[in-house]
Order: sequence, then C-alpha cells, then structure tokens
Amino acid sequence: MKKIVEIRNLVKSFGKKEYETRVLKGINLDIQEGDFIAIMGPSGAGKSTLLNMLSTLDKPTRGQIFLDGEDVTKADNKRLSVIRRDKIGFIFQEYNLLDNMSLEDNIALPLSLNGVKSKEVRERVKNMAKLFGLEEHLAKHPYQLSGGQKQRGASARALITEPEIIFADEPTGALDSKSSRDLLMSLKAANDSGRATILMVTHDAYTASYAKQVYMLADGQIQCRVYNKGSRKEFYEEILDLLASMGGDRE
Amino acid sequence: MSLIQLAFSNFKRSLREYAALIISLSFSIFIFFNFQNIVYSDSMDVLNSMKKEYIDVVVNAASVVFGVFLFFFIWYATNVFLKQRKKEIGIYTFMGLDNIRIGKMYALEAFFIGLFSLVIGLATGAGFSKLFQMLLLKLSEISVDIRFSFTLKPVLVTAAVFFIIYGLMILKGYVSITRSSVLSMLSGAKQEEMKPEKTWLTLIKVITGILILAAGYICAVRTGEIDTLTYAFAAVVLVIAGTYLLFGGAIPFFIRKLTGRKDFLYQKQRTLWINNLSYRIQRNYRTYAMVTILMICSVSVLGTSIAMKQRYDKMTHFRDTFTIQVVAQEEMDKDEIEKGIEQENKVEYSAEVSYLMLDPSYFHTEYTNSNYGIIPYSQVKNAAGQAHLKFGYSELKQDEVIELSHVILMSFVGYNGPKEVQIGDDKFRILAEDDTPYLGEMQGAMSIYVVNDEVYKKLEPLGIVAHMYNYKLEDPANLDASRPYLKSLAEQGEDGLWNVGVNFNSPEGKDEAWIRVMYSLCIFMFVTLILAGGSIIFIKLNNDACEDRERYGVLMKLGIDRETLGKSIRQEIRFTYYCPFLLMTVTSWFAIKALGNVMKEDLFKVNIYSAVSILAVFTGIYLVSVRVFRRKVLD
Repeated sequence: MKKIVEIRNLVKSFGKKEYETRVLKGINLDIQEGDFIAIMGPSGAGKSTLLNMLSTLDKPTRGQIFLDGEDVTKADNKRLSVIRRDKIGFIFQEYNLLDNMSLEDNIALPLSLNGVKSKEVRERVKNMAKLFGLEEHLAKHPYQLSGGQKQRGASARALITEPEIIFADEPTGALDSKSSRDLLMSLKAANDSGRATILMVTHDAYTASYAKQVYMLADGQIQCRVYNKGSRKEFYEEILDLLASMGGDRE
Repeated sequence: MSLIQLAFSNFKRSLREYAALIISLSFSIFIFFNFQNIVYSDSMDVLNSMKKEYIDVVVNAASVVFGVFLFFFIWYATNVFLKQRKKEIGIYTFMGLDNIRIGKMYALEAFFIGLFSLVIGLATGAGFSKLFQMLLLKLSEISVDIRFSFTLKPVLVTAAVFFIIYGLMILKGYVSITRSSVLSMLSGAKQEEMKPEKTWLTLIKVITGILILAAGYICAVRTGEIDTLTYAFAAVVLVIAGTYLLFGGAIPFFIRKLTGRKDFLYQKQRTLWINNLSYRIQRNYRTYAMVTILMICSVSVLGTSIAMKQRYDKMTHFRDTFTIQVVAQEEMDKDEIEKGIEQENKVEYSAEVSYLMLDPSYFHTEYTNSNYGIIPYSQVKNAAGQAHLKFGYSELKQDEVIELSHVILMSFVGYNGPKEVQIGDDKFRILAEDDTPYLGEMQGAMSIYVVNDEVYKKLEPLGIVAHMYNYKLEDPANLDASRPYLKSLAEQGEDGLWNVGVNFNSPEGKDEAWIRVMYSLCIFMFVTLILAGGSIIFIKLNNDACEDRERYGVLMKLGIDRETLGKSIRQEIRFTYYCPFLLMTVTSWFAIKALGNVMKEDLFKVNIYSAVSILAVFTGIYLVSVRVFRRKVLD
C-alpha cells in the first residue's frame, strides 16, 4: 500500500526560549492510502496544532512531514499553495463555504480555478452531489442550507479534486446527531470506495467510531491507537472505554 | 475611563483604518472652502470691472452644486463608517453598555473624525487658496497680482455647512444605533444577505430601466428642436431614473444570468469574481448609479464650459472681424475713409457692401424683428473676399435666401418646420442660416437676408439703400486714436436720423471676461467631480475588502494561490470602475449632443476629452485600489 503521509519527530513549540511551551513533543505517524484515521484527545492535547502542521497551514519547530514523498516543511509558500490545491482536501468545523456563490459553484470552485474543462467540472460536481445527497440543493446559496447540508457540501468540495488526503477538523462539531451521521456515512462511503484517505480530528467518540483507526493524543504525544476490528458499535464502546481509562469520564 | 476618553482613544486607534474617510471628508472640505474663499476674498475684487457679480453668481452656483455634492458624499461616507463601526461597537454591549451610551460613543468618535477632517481640510484649503486662485486666473487668462489673503468668513461658512451636514449624519447614526438590536449590530454588515427577488419584479425593472434610459437618450437627441427646455428636463430626469434602474435591474440580472452559465463561469477566475459581483451588486448598485450620474454631471459641466468657451471665442471673432463700421445713406468713398483712418492706424483689410433696408411690414417671418434688410448675393461674396471670410455658397436661385445671423451664447429656442420667409409678395426658402460676420455686428442689429441679385433689383424700389464700409485695424487697441476722425464723419440729417453712422467695436469687451472665469471654474468642477466619483468607488471597495478578508482567508486555506486570487480581485475591481465609466461614456455622448444642440456647437471633442481624462483618473485610482484591496485581503 502506498504511504501518503510520513511524520518524523514532529515538534512544535510556542513562545520565546525561557517561556517556551511544547505543544507537540515528537510525533511519529504514517498514513497509508485508504486510511481513515481519527485523532482524539482532550483540549490542549495538540490536535489542532498537529492538523495545522499536516495541512501545511503552519510550520513545525522541528521534524519532518513527508507528503507523497515531499518534505512539506521545506516548501515555500508558492509550492505550499500548489500542494494544498492538488494533494490536500479540507473540511472545516465551520464549513467555510463561500456565501456569495451557489452550492454548485462552491463544490466546483477548486476544479474551475484549476483550468479543468467546464464540462468535466459539471460532471464531477454531479457525482459528488450524488455521493453526499445534495442533488436537489445545488442551486441554493449557503444561507439557504442547513448546517448538515453545508458540511456535506464542504466535504464534496474537499473531495472533488481527488486529493491524496482529506484533513477534517471537527467536521461534526457544529452538527446535530442526524446530520453528523449523514455526513460520516458519506465520508465512510467515500473512504470505503477507495476515493478518500481521511485524517480527522475530533473530540467526539461517536464521530471517531466511523474511522478505521483512532489515535489518542495527549500531552503532545500519541499515547495509544485502537483499530476497528468489527462493527462500528463495538468500536464505539472500545473508544469510550479507552477514554475512560485515560482519565476522561465515560459519557 | 470616561466615554469621551474611550471614544478619543478609539479615534486615535482607528486613524489609519479610517484614513479613506478622513481623506475624502478633508478633500471635500478643501474644495468647498476654496470656492467659498473666492466669493469672500478681496483678491477677486480686481475683477469688479469685469462683472464680479457674474462671477459671484457662477461661484455661488458652483458652491450650491458642491454643497449638494458634499451632502451626498458625507452621507455616503458616514454610512460606510457606521456599518464598519457597528460591529465593533456592538461588542461593548457585552460589557454592559446600553445602546444610548454606545450611540453617544459613536457620535463622539464621529465628531472627532469630523473635527480632524475639518481642521485638515481648512488648513490645506487655506494653504492652497492662493495657488487655487492663481491657477483659476491663469486659466482664465486674467493677469492680476494676487495677495495671500485670509478672511475668516469662508472658514466659518465652510465649517458651518460641514457641521450642519455632518451633524445630521452623526445624529442619523446615533438614532440608528440606539434603535438597533445587539444582534443586528454584531452581525453588522453581514445583515443583508442575497435575497432572491421575484422574477416578475426583476423583469419589470430590467425592461423599464432600458426603456426609460432609451427614452432619455431620445429626449436628449431631440433637444435643440422645439421645446428644448422640456426635452432637456425630461432627458435629465429620465437618464437619472434609467441609470438607477439599469444598475438596480438589468445589470444585476445580466450578471446573475452569467453565474447560471456554468460553461462560461467555470473558466479562469470567473467563478470567483462574477459570483462576487453578483452578490455585491444588489447592495452596491446605488453607489454605481450615483457615480455614473456624478460623472455625467461632470462631463456636462465640462461640455458647458467648453461650449461657452467656443462660443465666446466665436463671439470674439465675430466682433473683431471689423473694428470700424461706417454706414451711410449716400455712397461714400471707401478709400478716402481708409486714408483718414490710416493717419493714426494701419488698416489690415476693409470691405464694402450695399444693402437694402426694408420696412418690417414687408416681411412675414416667425419672429418679428424691428429692422429688416436684404443684400444681393454678389455683394456678400465680394465683401467676404475682401475680408478673407469663407463664403461657400453657389449662386442663389430666385426663391432662395440665406439668413445672416449673429453668434449668441446659448439659445433655448429651437427651429421647427419648413424654413421660409415671405418678403413682399414672394415666398423664399431659407437655404441656410449663417453666422459668419460678413456684415460684422450689423447682423446682430437686424434680420438680414442674402437674395439673388435679380430679386434684389426687383425689390430695390421698396426700401432705402444703405452703404456700409468696414475696416479692420491691425491694432484694434489703438482704436481710440482714430475716433476723432471717425466722429467727424458722423452726420445727422435735419430729420434727426443719422445719415452717416459709425460703429466702433472695442477689442476686449471687459464685461465678457467672466465667461473665461466661468470656463476655468467649470474645469475645476469637472476635475473635482471625477475625483469624487473615483473616491466614492474607492471607499466602497475598501469597505468591501474588510468584509472579504474572511472569504479570501478560506480560499487561501483551500490552496488557491495568491496569483489567482489577485487576478480575480483585479477583474472585480476593474468592473466596479469601468462599468460606470462605460455607461457614463454612452450617456454623456447623448448629454453632450443635447448640450451641443442648445449651444449650437459641435462638442464631439468634449466627449473625447472627458472620456480620456475620466479613464485616466479612474485607471489611476483603480491601480491604487487593487493594491490596497490585495493588501487588505491577502496579507
């Protein structure tokens, strides 16, 4: 299987020398093609910091991140733009759809700006809309959509460029349980069909249970990993137990 | 910290951010002050001999125009400011401030900004007032030594006018804040989402907009015919309404249609900027319409001034063609008179004509004049040759005449219907109306027609033949030297009528210098108005940029590179400057045409000048705008 992301001794600290706070203390992690990883951990564990490094929005203090064999910590801003455009898909907690265009245009945006033929763009938008159950909403503007629809739209936008990897930051953070389930089912379907490798940051065990692996991040390090061996329900229980054993309360 | 201190620290902090507002306020104060200064300063008193009252009327009219402009400009600028501030100020509600206190804080802050702008505007205004007046007089070709004078009155008037308008706007903002809910304040500018409009309403807007504008254009073309004033007025009203509706209806409709055409939209950066335009135009169309109308006004002002200047030059030429005109009942010796004149002055050229004065009762014309005359074709041709004037008419037929007229500044009386004149029992077709001064100022004093030589002979017994001897001096300024001799020629008959009359045309009729001052003032107004138009769009874009920061942040996160975003920004900004420009160019063509009809001038070059200068100014502002916008949203 192809290795997509390789993280070596990733360290990130904030602040000046004497007051330095280490948020990430040497993370090593490999992501293979077809993975669906959830990173969990309490607030302040460094989840978002890690995701920002991986998605090239921030630079690490030390260590390397290889994306598709290329060390992104050494790339300049221009190259990073290209990497983000071609290899990475983003799903944000707050959707980040552009409110000034229709959902269809939002999903099409990354392709249409990359010079893909408009006929192909429309074709692929249609497919994505189908995958995320958005066919009827394409002509609407974001303010006419529910939170769940918006997040599915954002996911469709992230997937349409067929990126090497999708980074999702608390994708269900602002959704109710039904919308969360719809979104996660769609993401899982995309992952199962081999269309998406996903790394998702979440604090929610239910959301994490849709992943194939869950990594627990605490105190700047990966403390343990669990793999989904059977049904999602069992996995969910397993995650809850793990959280409890790590000191969190079982909800 | 008291409210005043808080407001003052806010003001200091936001000085940079609201630089655009302060600059534009100061600029408008600067201009207004300078115009006021002309009215009140004594340096222009030297023009007393040149009808300062006329100039004062013009300057006052300009001040009124600028007052109105100031009103809208301040209204607009403070509105933008209020929107920007509302959001930040709204946060204070969480700190337990009630709306009234927040409103007071806003008012104080706005007051500081106003005061600051006023001081800057007045200081620069006073500093540049001498330069401004020098420039004005230089442009007007009036040589006067201007002292640097400072009078308090224009300062007071400017400050009063500014604070009345600005105070009203602060009050409006205060009321708006005290009445708005916390939520609406926090969501601030985001309030107005894109609300889909009913299709039928859109269609009505689109159709009426186009129809009204077209009607306005038609009216503009028809001015100069009968009912000029009605047509001109209708054209102004229709064009303003049409422009407004076009920006509110047809243009957004067209852009929305574009967003629907995905084959077109998904190319280059179009999806970004066309969608953005479509989203924005519903809110910004008033601005675009206002700028367009402002531009049309400025072009009309320029057109008026140039037309006046052209007319003025023509009038000067008309008047200066002959310096001395001697009219006699009996034939005189042209060369003898010339010799007499040449004792003191050199004669550049001279011309001699005879014409027939007829009693008005023989004439049946549309308008009745008190003096009528006819002149044979060959005489005019001959005189034109002597005076080096062009005379491009071939021999007249029996029933044809040419009406000789004079140059006037402007006319709201149009011509209509078949052009005919009846002299005696015969009807004649008026072949042309010519204001070349073949007979000099005489053409202004009487209605005179050029007729076929045979017709003249036939009519000769009906009237009195007059002989006219025209002389052009090489140095018209030295005319007075020849006056005694010429006066000696004048001779009154026993019946009290003049047998020989002499007419002097002094060169610079000092009373007409006001036209040149007005011309210069109009050019100033033109420049000011286009700068104002440009800066309104600039402020609007600045405001848009603040809202767009988040959107561009998302796009950058998605990996859209700066170059692509920069291109999209450029396209969008280009539209905001050049769309009003384009509409202005089309409309001003009609406006200038109407003006040309009224002024009887060919003003096509005004179209070119104004379009080029507005294009240059807009392009300059556009380039700055793109830089500022990019810096705001991409850095």
